[in-house]
Amino acid sequence: MSAKIALNAEDLDRRKRIRKLFSVLRFLLIFIFLAIFLFPVYWIAIGAFKSEGEFYHYPPIFWPEHFNWGNFGRAMTTFGGTQALVSSLIVAITNTMLVIAFGVLLAYAMGRFNVGGDNLSFFVLSLLFAPPVIAATPLFIIFKTLGMLDTYPALFLSYILINMPFAVWIMKGFFEDIPHGIENAALLDGYSRFAAFRKYVLPLAVPGIAVTALFVFIFSWNEFLFALIFTRSHTQTLPIALASMTGGHQIPWGEISALSLIAITPGIILTLFFQKYLVRGLTFGAVKG
Amino acid sequence: MANLDKVLTLERRERRFAQLVALPGMVVLVLLVAGPLLYMLFNSFFANTLAAPIPPRFNWGRNYLNLFDDSRFWNAFFNTMKIMVIGIPIQSVLGLIIALLLNKKFYGSKIVIALFMMPVMITPVVAGFEWKIILDNHFGPLNYILGLFGIQPLAWLSKPTLAMASVLIMDTWQWTPFVAVVLLAGLAAIPRQVYEASSVDGSSSSETLWRVTLPLLKPMFALVVLLRIIFIFKIFDPVQILTGGGPGIATETLSVLTYIMGFKNFDVGMSSAIAVIQLVIITIIAKVFIGTIMKPKEAK
Repeated sequence: MSAKIALNAEDLDRRKRIRKLFSVLRFLLIFIFLAIFLFPVYWIAIGAFKSEGEFYHYPPIFWPEHFNWGNFGRAMTTFGGTQALVSSLIVAITNTMLVIAFGVLLAYAMGRFNVGGDNLSFFVLSLLFAPPVIAATPLFIIFKTLGMLDTYPALFLSYILINMPFAVWIMKGFFEDIPHGIENAALLDGYSRFAAFRKYVLPLAVPGIAVTALFVFIFSWNEFLFALIFTRSHTQTLPIALASMTGGHQIPWGEISALSLIAITPGIILTLFFQKYLVRGLTFGAVKG
Repeated sequence: MANLDKVLTLERRERRFAQLVALPGMVVLVLLVAGPLLYMLFNSFFANTLAAPIPPRFNWGRNYLNLFDDSRFWNAFFNTMKIMVIGIPIQSVLGLIIALLLNKKFYGSKIVIALFMMPVMITPVVAGFEWKIILDNHFGPLNYILGLFGIQPLAWLSKPTLAMASVLIMDTWQWTPFVAVVLLAGLAAIPRQVYEASSVDGSSSSETLWRVTLPLLKPMFALVVLLRIIFIFKIFDPVQILTGGGPGIATETLSVLTYIMGFKNFDVGMSSAIAVIQLVIITIIAKVFIGTIMKPKEAK
């Protein structure tokens, strides 16, 4: 004990230097990790501006001499990017509205009144955890029988299957966070249950609902499997347009990179500006950021 | 007495209100989500092909028996397990290191964390393309960088073991940041006093890490591992783009095989049987999740 107390100035100075060294080392490591994890994003972003020759150049080109915007033009026109972009927007927006519209009240009923109890929670969670591919063949047969293949409604409906359990589960958590007192006060003031919900609870839940909607939008936007199976030509979304670009003899990497850059933009915006909610969403509410 | 009656009717009215409000969502959930899954369960007991207009025929669970005899099924099963058993520990260790590095706040740490999270929300198809370009054995930057260290170019995507390694690299790239940020949230929840107590006791920082920090992080590790298992069962798009399950069937996962069985081989029965098995496993995991992760929190 006594040795610890008897620190002289020299000792303190040495400790300070060691601490500084550690801090430098720490930032160096953070920088290296960051560089590794961002490299693939950088590579696809820079690739969008490379000419075809630069893509097949060896050694690889880490910074193109001049930025080539032609890839974007060709990706949007020759490779059907514009149509895919429109399809993706239509599908993602419609699905988000449907999922939120049907999900909000169910989430409220589950979060506030414990409707369905543990059984319903377990049911929703199982659906949320299940790989979407298991619903692919039954949905395909149903849509084929109804003549719905390659139509937007097939995607609107099938994406409900992917997103509804998620939206209900997450929004349930947001409703649980809102204190009961608010409604009780409204009820005492003579509001009906539904009016209390609409006038007092819903406004408080808006941020949570908005974040959920954003997640659902991105999940629909990124979805690949169902779009691959249920679309042919008219309703192809961005991921499908991207995947089908590899069909030819030579793979147009520049155009693929350009369209990829457009495809990842919404997800990156969500990450950069709604980081606080990202952990909560991706852990299905288990971690409240 | 009258008062009690009033309370009772109020409670009943409240329950009726809750059920009414839940109804539309429930109908959608049951019809659109549970309906197809029940239909799949039904399909799994029939010989059923999409290739020819032959009516489905009940075959007494033969699909399941065939499946357990099918080396391709076991290949996909063990590939999925391989991604879990190799990938999750690597991602946990890397994630822990990153979380510890980022634990002390610094100027701009929020932006750095956000940048780290970027791979998580990237379109999975694009993730597949990114790594397809990076791992390309002719013009890919990875082989070039390895070459600077004197390593011969590797045929990442055309050799079976290397293709599996490629899938693991891609998965680790996409999900380590997620692991890191969840563990970071766990670290942030550890009260300062715990560290102070440990340093007063004279423990070195590595002792503190092993004796204090890691045991306290255990629930977060459990959560991360469980979620990663769920996500790996779901993994489809990036693998489909990167390797397509190949070369041969070297990187075929359960999800990829379910797709191939249904939409390349048109065997609805077999595809459904694989799907049912996955659903059973996932249901068990959901039960564990509710029991271990959701419950203790509700008790608080």
